[in-house]
Amino acid sequence: MRMANFRSSYGARRLALGVFLAVLLGFFLLPQQLQTLFQEIGGPIGWVLSWPIRLVSSVQGGVGDTWHRYVALQEVEDENRQLRKELELLQGQNSQLREAASATERLTALLEFKAQASPAMVAAQVIGRDTGNWYRTILLNKGSADGIQPDMGVVTSAGVVGRVVKTTMATAVVLLVSDPNNAIAGLIQRTRDEGIVEGTTPGLARLKYIPLLSNVRTGDRVVTSGLVGGFPRGLAIGTITTISKEEGALFQSAELRPEVDVNRVEEVLVIQSPYVPGEDGKSDGPLPKAKP
Amino acid sequence: MKILVYGCIIAALIAVHTTVLSYVSVWDVKPDVGLVAVCFIGLLAGEFEGLIVGLILGWGMSLFSAADLAASMVAKGAVGFLAGLAGRQMAQVTPVVLVSGLVVASALSNGITLWSLKPNEQQDLWWALRTVVVPQACFDAVVGGLCYWLIWSRLNLDRLAEGQEF
Repeated sequence: MRMANFRSSYGARRLALGVFLAVLLGFFLLPQQLQTLFQEIGGPIGWVLSWPIRLVSSVQGGVGDTWHRYVALQEVEDENRQLRKELELLQGQNSQLREAASATERLTALLEFKAQASPAMVAAQVIGRDTGNWYRTILLNKGSADGIQPDMGVVTSAGVVGRVVKTTMATAVVLLVSDPNNAIAGLIQRTRDEGIVEGTTPGLARLKYIPLLSNVRTGDRVVTSGLVGGFPRGLAIGTITTISKEEGALFQSAELRPEVDVNRVEEVLVIQSPYVPGEDGKSDGPLPKAKP
Repeated sequence: MKILVYGCIIAALIAVHTTVLSYVSVWDVKPDVGLVAVCFIGLLAGEFEGLIVGLILGWGMSLFSAADLAASMVAKGAVGFLAGLAGRQMAQVTPVVLVSGLVVASALSNGITLWSLKPNEQQDLWWALRTVVVPQACFDAVVGGLCYWLIWSRLNLDRLAEGQEF
């Protein structure tokens, strides 16, 4: 058994109480100002604190690599066989898509569409996860010093990962698409119905506000609509698995399986600007709809 | 010297929280090792040090999380302060008292965070209690109990601390 502390003097106790009350009062009276102040001071502090995180993350990455490359090889042969089959299938699909792409190119030129510029992106590595249990976030090794700002979209080649909610000089916190507090404007690719994609508590996502008359089906793909937020139009979000219509409700909603496995993502791209500035310096908007 | 030690502890705790702890999560809940550390510091070093370390740790952890800065700072600071007060009132800290105290501290800390969360139709009170507050309180208590056993039974720091005092 351990003797409890008797070291703090009466003065220290009063000082502690005073500091605690001052902090509490400060957050009640000036919440926004104090948050901004601490966030500003936190920029360089975050840069300092990011070094031990990088160190532990690289050690952890090294151990994980060694494990996966040399120890956990039991299912590699089966996986190889499966991947070869998938590769053959994808090669077939690839040639079909090349045909479709060249046709689209010709038609686009015919309709005199404005060419969509590639969005400006910066690559970043995932070095950590949220420090608490309330949010699903990932931590990136790039921050405000690299031009990353809150509300920027984060993607991989497979699709949408989430959006940046907080930055320090050297790190950025990304709220994942599967977090219930996230909301991204989505579009059902087949029916062109728009809605809002938000995360669910089991770690999936759902599309809300689908019109009742929409003929949405399971298996339909949902992509970003590009209307609001830091994403250009057409990035994959997920595939619809179930549709729910409540009696008397004005809209229907659909459960999605996110395209990106957010628990395994290691490298991402942060979209700094969804649209490259036009000749007059203003941002180009999303692609205009085809005129009839 | 003490400031340097506390700084290193805070940096190490934040690094562990963001990287390693997700591998030891049970049902998607990971223990709050920072809260356990703040409790120990409050108990051993008094309410002032518990409060200051709690406030700084809460701030540092909020920089790498989507959590609200104020709630994070106040929750950790309050736990350090209360642990210090509790340490003053008790002659001896037994494992049972420590584990029960950690359950209460963890529930209090998560209660403050829950209060600061914006209402969401999916994240109601029952969801929060069932999936975060209660499992994490149990997890924190287990981790705290293990730390107690490791520090005072295996490393015998008790005798060392007494030797330093006299």
